[in-house]
Amino acid sequence: MAKFDEKHNYSGTLICVEGIDGSGKSTQLVLLRDWLKSIGQDVIFTEWNSSELISQTTKLAKKKNMLSPRTFSLLHAVDFADRLKQVIAPALKAGFIVLADRYAYTAFARDVARGVDSNWVREVYNFAIKPDLAVYFDIEPKAAMDRICANRAPKFYEAGMDLKLSNDPYESYLIFQDRVTKEYQKMVDEYGLIKLDAMDSIHSKQVTIRKMLKEVLQSKGVELNDAI
Amino acid sequence: MTQFKTKHGYEGLLIVIEGTDGSGKSTQLELLKKSIQAQSYGVMVSEWKTSRLIANVIDDAKERNLLNATTFSLLYAADFADRLENQIIPALKSGFIVLLDRYYYTALARDVVRGQDIEWVKNLYDYAPEPDLVFYLDMPVDVLMKRIIGTTGLDYYESGRDIGFSTDFYKSFEIYQNKCLEQYNVMKSEYNFKSIDGTKSVKEIHKIMNDEVQKVLDSGVLF
Repeated sequence: MAKFDEKHNYSGTLICVEGIDGSGKSTQLVLLRDWLKSIGQDVIFTEWNSSELISQTTKLAKKKNMLSPRTFSLLHAVDFADRLKQVIAPALKAGFIVLADRYAYTAFARDVARGVDSNWVREVYNFAIKPDLAVYFDIEPKAAMDRICANRAPKFYEAGMDLKLSNDPYESYLIFQDRVTKEYQKMVDEYGLIKLDAMDSIHSKQVTIRKMLKEVLQSKGVELNDAI
Repeated sequence: MTQFKTKHGYEGLLIVIEGTDGSGKSTQLELLKKSIQAQSYGVMVSEWKTSRLIANVIDDAKERNLLNATTFSLLYAADFADRLENQIIPALKSGFIVLLDRYYYTALARDVVRGQDIEWVKNLYDYAPEPDLVFYLDMPVDVLMKRIIGTTGLDYYESGRDIGFSTDFYKSFEIYQNKCLEQYNVMKSEYNFKSIDGTKSVKEIHKIMNDEVQKVLDSGVLF
């Protein structure tokens, strides 16, 4: 079974961050982007479920709670395929550093937590390009919930309410995100995701990520001129 | 008590009419629906690309030429999943005869012609229940061409213009439909299609289909 495990040959570099909402991954990626831009690098930023083609439909369907796990999975795959072919691959060919807030691993974690077959969803995404660096921010679901639900209740799909795990959104969130987290943890070995502790300080995580990125770039013969 | 068992394990029957555009599927579906209705069975019809959720996204994306081969495949797969889980399987569970205008064989043919790996496409649909009967309306390309040009005209995607076989509309259509037919020919035996000569009269074709369906009904499977 193909599992997008081959190294790509594009001149650009693909970095992705993974983890459940509230793990701080987006903050880290934005810091990385702004820094790379400030030192004159060509950077492209792409987010999960943001394609022109389908993201609005998916958001609308989510609002109406009308998605089965498999349709949920396929719609996100459409979004990913659209961004991969229209944005990510061309940017990599043109030598950009592509920063992806969530990648195919998000689908593997969430869809499998929803009961979709793990081999099936991996096969669906087998057209994906293997990232040069994939960082996973590990966090206890309870700690993530305290962060994101400080002033709102968990959302329907975020809490896995479609799975009828519990009528209480907070309780459902914890059960569902615990499943998601377990799937992520499996992928640390399976896909070589680099695990970082989400509870570390913003600064220390950013230092680690920049160091890893520099190493990746060096291996491709790119030196960052960051002595500003 | 019944000798005949449905192939998918649900109570109802799943009957599919396959064929390329212009092969006369919709006409036959309508006739079959009427003759089954007349015998007091519950009938439900579902057509390809009609999910309330995704069908208009596909139409809109096609109109604006936003699709690549991968998103084309995945969008149709999402449409199919939505219809299957929200309409088709619930109807089968409650004992309906479900008549389908196209099934995933259509996706297999079209996606493979667009260069997708056949195993990848099969995986997208591997959870779909096996139909009890698949009728395939076999039509030579030259007849198809006349029918389509005489009715809807040559559509961009149905002519495979997105693939770039030829800049000539007619030529592109011919190549595309021929390649689709090749795929259907492979599937004919793989999936045990009841192949019917699509150039026969509407009445003759209906009789062939109706007799096949009647055999299944007479087995008492739905009693």
